[in-house]
Amino acid sequence: MEYKIVERSAPGREKVEVLGETYEEGKPDSEDLGRWRQKLTSREEKLKYLQTGERYLYGKDWYGSEKRKNPA
Amino acid sequence: MVEKENKSIDQATNEMIEKAASDGCSVVFDRAESMKPCPIGSVGSCCQNCSMGPCRVPLTKGKEETPEAKKKRRGVCGATAETIAARYFARMVASGTAAHSDHARKVTETFLAVARGEAPGYQIKDEQKLLQLALDLGVEISERSNEEIAIDIGEIAMKEFGRQEGEILFLKRAPLKRQELWRKQGVTPRGIDREVVEIMHRTHMGVDQEYKSLLKQAVRTSLADGWGGSMIATELQDVMFGTPAPVLGRINLGILREDEVNLIIHGHEPQLAEMLAVVAQDPQIVEYAISKGAKGINLAGMCCTANEILMRHGIPLAGNFLQQELAIVTGVLDAIVVDVQCIMQGLADVAQCYHTKVITTDSRARIEGAMHIEFDEHNAAEIARDIIRTAIDNFPNRSGSIRVPKQETDLIAGFSHETINYLMGGLFRASYRPLNDNIINGRIRGVAGVVGCNNARVTHDSAHVAMVKELIKNDVLVLQTGCSAMACAKAGLMVPEAAAEYAGEGLASVCEAIGIPPVLHLGSCVDNARILVAATMMVKDGGLGDDVSDLPVAGAAPEWMSEKAISIGQYFVGSGIFTVFGVNWPTLGSKGVTDFLFKDFEEMYGGMWAFEADPIKAAQLMIEHIDKKRKALGIDKARDRILYDMEARRELDAA
Repeated sequence: MEYKIVERSAPGREKVEVLGETYEEGKPDSEDLGRWRQKLTSREEKLKYLQTGERYLYGKDWYGSEKRKNPA
Repeated sequence: MVEKENKSIDQATNEMIEKAASDGCSVVFDRAESMKPCPIGSVGSCCQNCSMGPCRVPLTKGKEETPEAKKKRRGVCGATAETIAARYFARMVASGTAAHSDHARKVTETFLAVARGEAPGYQIKDEQKLLQLALDLGVEISERSNEEIAIDIGEIAMKEFGRQEGEILFLKRAPLKRQELWRKQGVTPRGIDREVVEIMHRTHMGVDQEYKSLLKQAVRTSLADGWGGSMIATELQDVMFGTPAPVLGRINLGILREDEVNLIIHGHEPQLAEMLAVVAQDPQIVEYAISKGAKGINLAGMCCTANEILMRHGIPLAGNFLQQELAIVTGVLDAIVVDVQCIMQGLADVAQCYHTKVITTDSRARIEGAMHIEFDEHNAAEIARDIIRTAIDNFPNRSGSIRVPKQETDLIAGFSHETINYLMGGLFRASYRPLNDNIINGRIRGVAGVVGCNNARVTHDSAHVAMVKELIKNDVLVLQTGCSAMACAKAGLMVPEAAAEYAGEGLASVCEAIGIPPVLHLGSCVDNARILVAATMMVKDGGLGDDVSDLPVAGAAPEWMSEKAISIGQYFVGSGIFTVFGVNWPTLGSKGVTDFLFKDFEEMYGGMWAFEADPIKAAQLMIEHIDKKRKALGIDKARDRILYDMEARRELDAA
């Protein structure tokens, strides 16, 4: 893949050259392409994801901003 | 020469309004012109609750009301202008809640039928969402089958409608502080139907005649919608049809095809639409369409049923609320199939001018002059086939005036809470942390939910698009649902490229990093429940306060029309979100009621209503509120970043 370099300005300094986007151009042409939930296949994986990805609701050891309070 | 005023900012809409006129067909825009809204009823100063009336108690325009004049503003029974306005408002909330919740009840019935194996053609598509609901509702998972778990979930969900005491179960998802506040204010809903019925009782002649008491029940009822009916509908639909994930779609009347059988599904409930989407691809039915001279079948959506099948399948959207009759005006629409809500009776009249068949499918929503094919989830595929064959059979009947506008725009939809969480952190680190961090560092100023309908009293789509452009220009990330989302999609705001073109530098940089548009489509109007969940997750992730009312967020419905919009707005407000409505405000006839909703609610619920017809000014009100919240959180000013060396660290430790 050919890398693209683009110029970007940043606060308090001159314009700098940085690596540009690395995704492929074009539009997804299948409704399946955006589907990420199918990556989790077993029930165990799905429950594990709920405990980590949705940890504030289903995690046992992490309550986010409400950790200091009683669990919901 | 006087320049002709456009009815819409959308060219396809204006083109079809002109075509309708030249075809001698009257549409909603013409009816709105010939019938002006009643100035007394529109501000809640007309009471029709008994046959001693209707009693009209209009506020004298242009001068301060004297105590004597105020005393005279009473109905025959003695009801004050405050009572009359509050009853009107509360009934709007009850009706909106009833609509969303009856939708949810129907979805729950289908869900149970699917779980029991009585609805062939449907299945449990999203096991993960099923498990999530099992955890929420305390249903045993262990080694049980999905169907066994689903039966328990469906039965618990069904009981939520008729629950008589306690608290509706999804309230537990809200931030803890919010739950405490609801209990303290006495607005925790006991059951969905109970709260709606209680409003109808309280607003009956001679019952609750204290406006603050009526409005308290309105809050309670609306929470039974947002955290009850709407949330049940969204969650169960996700289990059956899949939790939305990013998908490419197209929108506007240009998606209709002259050489194909065009079939539009319009309304709100997705059960039939899901089956139509499957059956329309059946080779036998496609072959049948070809046998009638068509090149294929073009299934499209309108209003919120459209949003449902767009979010899950990428099926194109023909347009939003005010375009429903105009799809018929193209002359190429072979059938418009409707389920429930936001379906104009005018469809049947417009269809008389063309060949289109209007097909009602739900016994709760019949239209005189329309064909009726009753939908039944137990026999869904056969009914869907029957409907599509009816559309195909009508294809050869096209005659006369045909014109399909060219306009169609790409959009990316499918931003459920789950997907937003995933997009910001990936499968192993799913999180709202990047959003909260970027709000704290100021790249994103805040988040706005801009939702709601179209309204023929304002230029079609104009307020939605103007407001949203103003918000994203000021680095406010916008979440959308319903017809509002469709308006902005048509304006090209729902593709990632829109960030560079329309968003402020900070918001654009975040959108570019994640790869999302600056305006996210979250689905249909029951999916406003997804916005509640997203706001809750922002709170729980930390750094932005302990409650939704602490967040730099705001809500709006700049072109609202339906009672459902009032219910949605009220549960936003009751959940702690400042919410601005446009067009008109239904309690302006009473200063007391309006002040209570606009001012006192802030002290009680942390969120309050506002009314501003100008969408730019309304956006500025939202930004002001966001800035107020940023200030309260202490994130209103950029702080100097200090890099400590070891010596400085030692000094800190010593101190």
